[in-house]
Amino acid sequence: MNMLTRKLIAKEFYLNRWLIIGATGAGLAGLVIAAEGRMRFNIGMLIWLTTIIAFGVTLAMLSIASERKDRALQFVLSLPISPGDYIRTKLLALMFCFLVPWIVLTVGAMALILIQPNLPDGLLPYALLLCVFMLANFSLVLSGALHTSSEGLMTLLIIVTNTAVTLFIFLIGSIPALHDHLGDAQPVWNSAVWTVLAVELATLVLTLSLPYLVAARRRDFN
Amino acid sequence: MTQTKHIEMRNVRKSFRFFTLEDLSLDLEPGQIMGLVGPNGAGKSTAIRLMTGLLTPDGGEVRVLGHTMPDNQAVAKRDIGFVSDDMRLFAHATLGWHMQFVASIYPGWDAKYAQALIKRFNLRPEQSVRSLSSGEHVKAVLLLALARRPRLLILDEPTSGMDPVARHEVLSEFMDVLQDEDRSILFSSHNTVDVERVSDRITFIDRGRLVDSSDKEDFLERWRRIQLQVPVGTRVPDLPHVISRVVDGQFVTLTTNRFSPELISFLGSGVREVQRMNLEEIFVANVMHHREVRGQ
Repeated sequence: MNMLTRKLIAKEFYLNRWLIIGATGAGLAGLVIAAEGRMRFNIGMLIWLTTIIAFGVTLAMLSIASERKDRALQFVLSLPISPGDYIRTKLLALMFCFLVPWIVLTVGAMALILIQPNLPDGLLPYALLLCVFMLANFSLVLSGALHTSSEGLMTLLIIVTNTAVTLFIFLIGSIPALHDHLGDAQPVWNSAVWTVLAVELATLVLTLSLPYLVAARRRDFN
Repeated sequence: MTQTKHIEMRNVRKSFRFFTLEDLSLDLEPGQIMGLVGPNGAGKSTAIRLMTGLLTPDGGEVRVLGHTMPDNQAVAKRDIGFVSDDMRLFAHATLGWHMQFVASIYPGWDAKYAQALIKRFNLRPEQSVRSLSSGEHVKAVLLLALARRPRLLILDEPTSGMDPVARHEVLSEFMDVLQDEDRSILFSSHNTVDVERVSDRITFIDRGRLVDSSDKEDFLERWRRIQLQVPVGTRVPDLPHVISRVVDGQFVTLTTNRFSPELISFLGSGVREVQRMNLEEIFVANVMHHREVRGQ
């Protein structure tokens, strides 16, 4: 990683610092609420889930779409960087920015399941799959924002990815090999878990590769 | 040994759906200020985007500071300061943060000069970019480009939207940059007053084509408006290098792009006045003549 890449990553952290802190705080608050009994668990987890999704969308839209719309992109491209380098650095920087709250909130959710006596540890694989799904979901939004300047397409992508989270929750819950172990005292890491995880990771790798293969190779950059 | 040209464009072509930049060739030597002048939509910004590597030419060659563009743009841009009137800084950061950011990237950042520019432009580092007026914003962007001490400044309409005092401050700063004879500026504008004030070389473009390119003094020396008084009905013969003729009764106004004392001798006693033309008049006459020749 060269000096300029490091500076540009640091720039993203600086410009998005309040968003990162706010999202981490809001997600942790959700987990604290979720720890306060059965009734509040649903509300807390809803806050936690919404925070991660909203953070990802806001991060991509503010850092890519708004930068382009507000014409700060021209300033960045006046620096000693090629448009291809810009795409690669932006992808890396925003993934790092997303990973900070994502790691904290994923570890927090796992800790909540393990610490809370009234929550079965069998929820662990389900929670992990949901967290990795949201990471892949963010990478898709990020990749989309790096490829298109169309607000309509981005809105469509955001609607699709948000809806996909709800569908994923229902879909995963309906797989017997996963559903049947949710209430178990011990987590069950069976082949169904590993298969879903592998699909999620493959999606993640694919969506993160797209900007390298397509957007970074554009001949013209407007 | 000849010095590397700061900009070399050879037969550059770039097509879009509704516009084509055709066969553009131009050179910028070290130590020169070139004014790139053209009406709105002439292709100035396209030419500049080709020079800064943001567009890839469909044909021809673009070299900046000896580097082939766009392939080697990252290296070339270490020595290029690029500013355009619609370039914006990050709204949620201060000017001071931007200065630190740029200083950390460019080893040649001149902190003393940056402080001097802060005072001269009446800016405040602690000021949030969001609170800057449009004129202050352009000055802030210029400060960030100038304090890097780039060998080449590429400025796309940098003074548009500025009040006359701000324009004066900024143009004076450009002149200071040129005190170092290894530095050069390419300055695009449709404001010919600004271009005439600072440029020593002028390139006119119109509708995607180069119309004319020459030293400013050469333009000002070559172009003249000649007023003649002739008997009504007398036809002034066609003359070489007379690009326009306006007849109003017994008065005829000729515009020439190759003025010479021999022309006045030839026209004889009918000559009432020979007027020098300013750059704006030369620009308009040149563009209109070019369009006429091309049948546009």
